[in-house]
Amino acid sequence: MKMLVSYMTLGYPEEEQYLEFVERSVKEGSDILEIGVPPKYAKYDGPVIRKSYKTVSGKIKDIWSLLKETRERVRIPIVILTYLEDWVPTLNDFLAKLYSIGIDGLLFPDLLIDYIDDYEEYVKKIKDAGLKAVIFTAPSVPDPLIQKTSTISDLFLYYGVRPTTGVPIPVSVDSLITRVRILVSNKLVVGFGLSDTEDMRKAMRAGADGIAIGTAYIEAIEKGGVDEAIKLVKQYREILNEF
Amino acid sequence: MHLFISGVIVAPMVVDRREEILPKYWYNIIPDLPKPLPPPRDPPDAEFSRIDLLRKIMPKEVLRQQFTVERFVKIPEEVRNGYLNIGRPTPLLRAKRLEEKLGTPAKIYFKFEGATPTGSHKINTAMPQAYFAKNEGVEHVVTETGAGQWGTAVALSASMFSMKSTVFMVKVSYEQKPQRRTIMQLYGGEVYASPTKLTEFGRKILDENPSHPGSLGIAMSEAIEYALNNDYRYLVGSVLDVAILHQSVIGQESLAQFEEYGEDPDILIGCVGGGSNFGGFAFPFLGSKIGKKFIAVGSYEIPKFSQGNYIYDFPDSAGLLPLVKMVTLGKDYVPPPIYAGGLRYHGAAPSLSLLLKERIVEWREYSEPEIFEAAKIFAEAQGIVPAPESAHAIKAVIDEALKAKKEGEKKVIAFNLSGHGLLDLPNYELMMKRLSK
Repeated sequence: MKMLVSYMTLGYPEEEQYLEFVERSVKEGSDILEIGVPPKYAKYDGPVIRKSYKTVSGKIKDIWSLLKETRERVRIPIVILTYLEDWVPTLNDFLAKLYSIGIDGLLFPDLLIDYIDDYEEYVKKIKDAGLKAVIFTAPSVPDPLIQKTSTISDLFLYYGVRPTTGVPIPVSVDSLITRVRILVSNKLVVGFGLSDTEDMRKAMRAGADGIAIGTAYIEAIEKGGVDEAIKLVKQYREILNEF
Repeated sequence: MHLFISGVIVAPMVVDRREEILPKYWYNIIPDLPKPLPPPRDPPDAEFSRIDLLRKIMPKEVLRQQFTVERFVKIPEEVRNGYLNIGRPTPLLRAKRLEEKLGTPAKIYFKFEGATPTGSHKINTAMPQAYFAKNEGVEHVVTETGAGQWGTAVALSASMFSMKSTVFMVKVSYEQKPQRRTIMQLYGGEVYASPTKLTEFGRKILDENPSHPGSLGIAMSEAIEYALNNDYRYLVGSVLDVAILHQSVIGQESLAQFEEYGEDPDILIGCVGGGSNFGGFAFPFLGSKIGKKFIAVGSYEIPKFSQGNYIYDFPDSAGLLPLVKMVTLGKDYVPPPIYAGGLRYHGAAPSLSLLLKERIVEWREYSEPEIFEAAKIFAEAQGIVPAPESAHAIKAVIDEALKAKKEGEKKVIAFNLSGHGLLDLPNYELMMKRLSK
């Protein structure tokens, strides 16, 4: 079965609606939850996700209790998305805390970009802490590195097809996937700016094992609340079920 | 003569050698880089997304090629025909007289991009970009130009596809090179000396300093703002990877031509403004693992290699484009008015910057008197007056050839002669007055 990885910014737009989205999205077919912990500088995120970080910053009383609450509500794997840059000085504590509340894994979008010389050491730290290390790659990652990281990434290899989240830069999703599919000996989940349903089908036909969606949910919540976003979860699940 | 095969008259196949040498694919080095290419990004607390803005200023297909990273990208048939039409493939020639003059055991080859009608390599990406823009119904394209080579290529390409063009030309070049302006106008382009009063950014610069000499970064900012305000499309001359992708036609051809010579170059050399002629020439060799030494040559007066930092910076002075990680002197750096206008730029393309950082590509910086001397030696030996930008590459070639002489090694040196200098004669005249003994 193809995987639906659903992203939501922690506590967006309010804690209550956030938890409602999380629970209902699992019920409607999300396989993995990706929860965004607001960073100081969301370098590789687009305007919509950046705005969602702004909306929640200062509002969340305690990120740990909210993460714990998230863990208690759902049983599927939860992967935290945050920037390594913010956690380097306190990484061990951070990893231990995530593990203690039952979070499954961690994804740092800046790992292969800003920490390329030490990425293996960080992956080891994450794994040693009992967490799964999900590695983020992009078309700008050279072939040998895609091949190598695909073997050490847990759960799946994340492949962001656009330079930033949520901006519909015209790219050929199928060619981008065809290039790396042959190199990846792992499940390949495609994300970043994937909201066009034709793009999703193209991704599946080109050999992706799943899709990661975030910006589209946040825009839907802005427009019509959680109900609107859940409609999308259902729609995406149906598309994935075609394959 | 006609052959008669089973009832059908067939003309004997005449294979055009030019068509064989002209590649069917452009080469993209990104999948073969030693490390991931840091992606473009928006600055912290950005009020608007510069990445999103690209969608409003660049032709869609150009943007698609910029971000659809594939090792080989098919060259559209219309563009291949366009390349043939402007005389590609350009020749790969041996500089035998130069070798003799230097008394070096090294063999020296040069790819002569000055053989295109616009006199430089710039047409290689201007033409496909104009073609893609036209396909999308664009009527008017805008760009900036330093020395005038890029603006000339855009003006011609726009006219080839029946579009209008506006070129913001760095003021110091506009004044030094009136003939460049004339060619652009002859090709149907509108040319303005930047900073201008046509854009908010230009007006701001002029308010601060009415006699500002201009820079490529400022002209770029003006061109982008002008394209945005009028819903025209902006063509990108260098720095972005897509320009280097198209320029790979130079290196792809050279690979095939070296095969004909039965030779593999050991040392590959090119000058660097933003990096597209160097990248276009050298990257296909890097990708094919041919060549042992790669040398990017810049100007001593604009010391980006020796004094620049490898950081995220804006490619344009106004900061309208996304930040890219590159070797840079800073977007506000004002280059001194040297004669090699094409080198007056604060940064170098992200892929080239990464290769410099990883020491896969070496660099050299030479001063104006040094490159003048090199240009003169080359002109006397080979008869070709090189563009002052290309003369930087020649100076490195001479140094390497003399080193080979000293060490008694039969090296094969290849360089990209990115343009001729016949429109730089007033500059050469001034250099002669100043520098000749």
